[in-house]
Order: sequence, then structure tokens, then C-alpha cells
Amino acid sequence: MLAQLLVGGLGTGCIYALVGLGFTLVYRTLRMVNFAQGQVFMAGTFLGLFGARQFGLSALPLLLLVAAISFAIGMLLERMVFRRLYASHEVFVVGAIGLGVMIENGFRIVYPEPLPFPKIFGAGVYHLHGAVFQKTYLWILIVTLALVVTLHVLFAYTRTGRALRAVASDGEIAATMGVNVQRAIGATFGLSFAVAAVAGVLIGPLYFVSPDLGDMVGLKAFSAAVLGGINSVVGTILGGLALGLMEALAAFYISTDYKDLLAFSILMLMLLVRPQGLLGRVVPVKV
Amino acid sequence: MRAGSVLGIGSVIALCTLGLLASDYLLQIATLVLIESIAVIGLGFLTGFAGRISLAQGALYGVGAYSAALLVTRLGLPPLLGLPIAILAASIVGTALGAPAIRLSGLYFVMSTIGMQQILWLLLMHWSGLTGGPQGVRDIPALSIAGFAFDTPARFYIAALIGAVTSYLLARLVVASRFGLFLRAVADDELASATTGVAVLRAKATALALSGGWAGAAGFLHAYYLRYVHPDMFTLDLSVVFLTMAMFGGYRSLEGMLLASAILGGASEYLRPFGQFRLVAYGGLLVLSMMFFPRGLLAVLPVRWRR
Repeated sequence: MLAQLLVGGLGTGCIYALVGLGFTLVYRTLRMVNFAQGQVFMAGTFLGLFGARQFGLSALPLLLLVAAISFAIGMLLERMVFRRLYASHEVFVVGAIGLGVMIENGFRIVYPEPLPFPKIFGAGVYHLHGAVFQKTYLWILIVTLALVVTLHVLFAYTRTGRALRAVASDGEIAATMGVNVQRAIGATFGLSFAVAAVAGVLIGPLYFVSPDLGDMVGLKAFSAAVLGGINSVVGTILGGLALGLMEALAAFYISTDYKDLLAFSILMLMLLVRPQGLLGRVVPVKV
Repeated sequence: MRAGSVLGIGSVIALCTLGLLASDYLLQIATLVLIESIAVIGLGFLTGFAGRISLAQGALYGVGAYSAALLVTRLGLPPLLGLPIAILAASIVGTALGAPAIRLSGLYFVMSTIGMQQILWLLLMHWSGLTGGPQGVRDIPALSIAGFAFDTPARFYIAALIGAVTSYLLARLVVASRFGLFLRAVADDELASATTGVAVLRAKATALALSGGWAGAAGFLHAYYLRYVHPDMFTLDLSVVFLTMAMFGGYRSLEGMLLASAILGGASEYLRPFGQFRLVAYGGLLVLSMMFFPRGLLAVLPVRWRR
């Protein structure tokens, strides 16, 4: 039973980690929280559904296509919407939530009923120490790992990644060094959209999908990011995995009703005790 | 100032006449706007004055509504007794959960209020023994005071109007008081106000308590307005609506908040021509208002019109 819980929890944890990464990428660049992240995740699911049904794409091309389209949409929305919300964090929060409302209800018009998602990752199951799990879980683990490695390589070893990190640590200085700050911020949004949308495709085959899919996942992924450290990429990934595992254990050993309370209690506690998160660093504010 | 009071009395008279003339349907919408404006003004103590924005006002409104509903249905207390208790309950819950986080910087405080909103909502939903869980609380009697029942839309509209006017006048007193001055100072510059002797934490905690109290009073009216409460009436969505109303109205302007409550509260009605795109249009309204009026609606008026 424990093995079963761990596999399930790890799978959910990967999803939290990826959606949470979307929060982290934007946060560490702009000190803003994009609360439309959960709806981006949901939009990714439906994009995947559309691609799989209409064009019969198989798993890998579908994931790549969804990532590319979401990246482009993220850049586009940054240019058209988010850029006008940088006035203050409260304006950004409400604006982003408004955007989330638009996305969610837009999808609700097209897809009013919950739909089954095609088994793009194969219908079989694996057996492991008494645990039985769908093939999808293996894909979730592998794709998450691949994305994390890709992001690490991008940020650590490429010129673009260095530019993004420079803008994240200080936009003004980066600009004087010749970094195109606007484009870097656009790319940051693109990346945050892409990881969340990929997570949406990954989770699709496990559930019936409906437009409110992103509500809870978005807020929990946010809590996971705060747990690990919302300005730390590594912290967010570990926070996501930890939250996924804790929820799976809590649901089994305590109560499924109160499982959802865990994420938000952690959120409030972390903010009180260690607002920068487990692995986050405090950025001193100069007066 | 004088023009202001003329305008104020004028609008109260206009709203009373509305109560006599308008259709029941219109009155019900107007009633909801009036009730929500109370919660919005309460939130205004935090957003405009203490410089802290909260996304938990919807849940505190729910705490007020549930207190009123449970006291009258389970304990059979007279409805009016529920008002002070609803105010106290929401105020205590809001302060107890919010006060530890109030020293955090702006964005971290917002994050923690999201946790607070979700926790309260989950408790309303799952603590069935106390709240009735997903069944909600039914059969709330009509609000009656000393034998007079506010049982028709027109009568309840008057009750809501009395509530909204009282909340507005009380809020004006608070804002004009020495404490209101402290709050504005804290919002402008915490460090500077602390050095000039403002007890920053106490001022912010008081703002929390007040905003919870206003939410509780609004929740009380909401419970008697629909005479049914359900956890899903008090979700994060509602908190977002309240926050938008408090911000959209304009920085530190009670009148602006009332105006924004009317504009956004009535949105579900005048967006009706959008049909199934209504909620999309509503989201668009939120985004566009933040994109183009980040400082609120009244900021577009010339300064001399603002007071």
C-alpha cells in the first residue's frame, strides 16, 4: 500500500512542481505572482486533448507541440496583457486572476461537459512492489525530469539563460549590459506557460478533464512553490514533490476530506515561519 | 464638503425612491450590491488605508453569514442578536488568522490571505457537524425586528440600504479619526510612521479587525437576503470580486468603492447580452480595468472633482 501511495504522490508532486515552476519563473523575474497559472495548466490539457483527438498525435510530438504553442501564447500575452499590469503587485494579482477567469470560462463554452482524455501514454499498467500504476505515471516522472534538466542546462549554460538570470537578479543592470529586458521577460512568461501546459497534458489521461481542473491545482502548486521557496527553482521542484507525497499520505492515513487543508495550512505556516521558503534566499532590500 | 453632503443625501433619497418604484427583480440586484458594498468598504480599511490587500474577505463574509444562519436556525436566537455575533465572529477569525501575517511585506501577506480563504472555505465545506457541509444551511427565517418582518424584496431592500448607509457613515468616522490618520501614515511609509510614534502593528491589526467586522455585518445581511447559505457562495472568486471593487473604486475613496461595487456588482446583469460569454466578458472587465485604471476609476477624474 505504501508503494502505491508513494507512486501516486510522486506523480501529483511532479505536476505541482511543474505548475509551481511557472509561478517561480515569473516571480523571481518580476516579484509578481501570476495567478492565471492554474488556468494555463488547464488550457494545456485541452490543447493536448484537441491535438490528440483531431490530429491523432502520439505522446512525444504532442508534448512538444503543446510546449511550443504555449510558449508563443505566453510571450504574446506578456506583450498584450501582463506588460500593462506591472504598476503594482495588487494590480497584477487582480489582472492575472481576471485573465484566469476569461480562460476558464472561455474553455467552458467550448467544453461544457467533463471529457475523457485519450490514453496517449498507453493503456497498460506496471507492477512494482505490490503497487499497480498506469503507464502515465512513468511518463510524468520522465518528462518532469527531462524538463528540469533542460531548464537547468538552459539557465546554466546558454547565453539566453544567462540573460534571463541577469534580468531576474537585476533588470536595470542587465539592461545596461545590453540584455534585451523586454524580450527576456517575454521569454520568461513563455517558459512558465510551456511548463504548466506540458504538466496539463501529462495529467490528462489520469482524469476526466473539465475547465475547472486548474483551480485547485494552481493554488496548490503555488503553495508548493512557497513551501520550497518561490524564488528558487530547485526549491519549487522539491516543494512540489514534498507536497504531493504528503497529500497522498495524509489522504490515506488522516482523511480525504481534509487532505486539501494540508497545502493551505503549509502555505500559511511557511509564510509566517520562513517566507522565503525552505531553500529560498532572502534578498536584502536596500533603502 | 457641503456639495458632498448634498450629493450624499441626494443619492440616499434617490435610492429610497428606487425602493418604492423599481421592480422586485431590480431591487434584488440593488440589495445585493448594497450588501456587498459593506464588505468592500471593510476591505478598504486594509487596501486603501493600511496598504495590505486581502483575498480572504469572501471567506470572512461567509463566516458572518454562517454565524447569523446557524444562530437563528440551530439556537433559535432572535435574528438581530445575530448581527453583533456575526460581526464579532468574522472580526475575531480575521484577526486571529491575519494578524500573525500582517507584519509580512505586501505580496507575502496576499499569499497568506489566499491560504486563509481556502482554509475557511474548506472548513465550511467539510466540517459538516457544525456547518451542514455541502448541504448548506436552509430555512433561514425572514429578518424580523420587533415584530416587523423584512420579508418582501422592497422591505429587505430598505434593511440593506440602512445597513449600507450606516457602514458608510461609520467608515467615514473611522477614516477621519486619529486612527484613520495613523493608518494612512502606515500605508504611506511604515518606517517613517513608526519613528513618529505610530504603533504600526497595532494600527494594522486594528484595520484587520475592522475589515473583518464589516465583512461579518455584510455576511449577516447576505444570510437573511437569500435565506440560504452554502460554502460555494464564499469562494476565492468572491474575494477577488471584493478586492477588485475595493481597488477599482480608487485609492482611499469610500465613494469610489461604492461606485465600483455598483458597477461590478451589477455586471452580472448588464453583461447579460453577452449570453454564454458573460463570464468571459466579466473576466475581461477585471483585466481591462486593471490594465487601464490601475489607480482606480476616480483617478481619471480631474483632481478638483475628487475631493
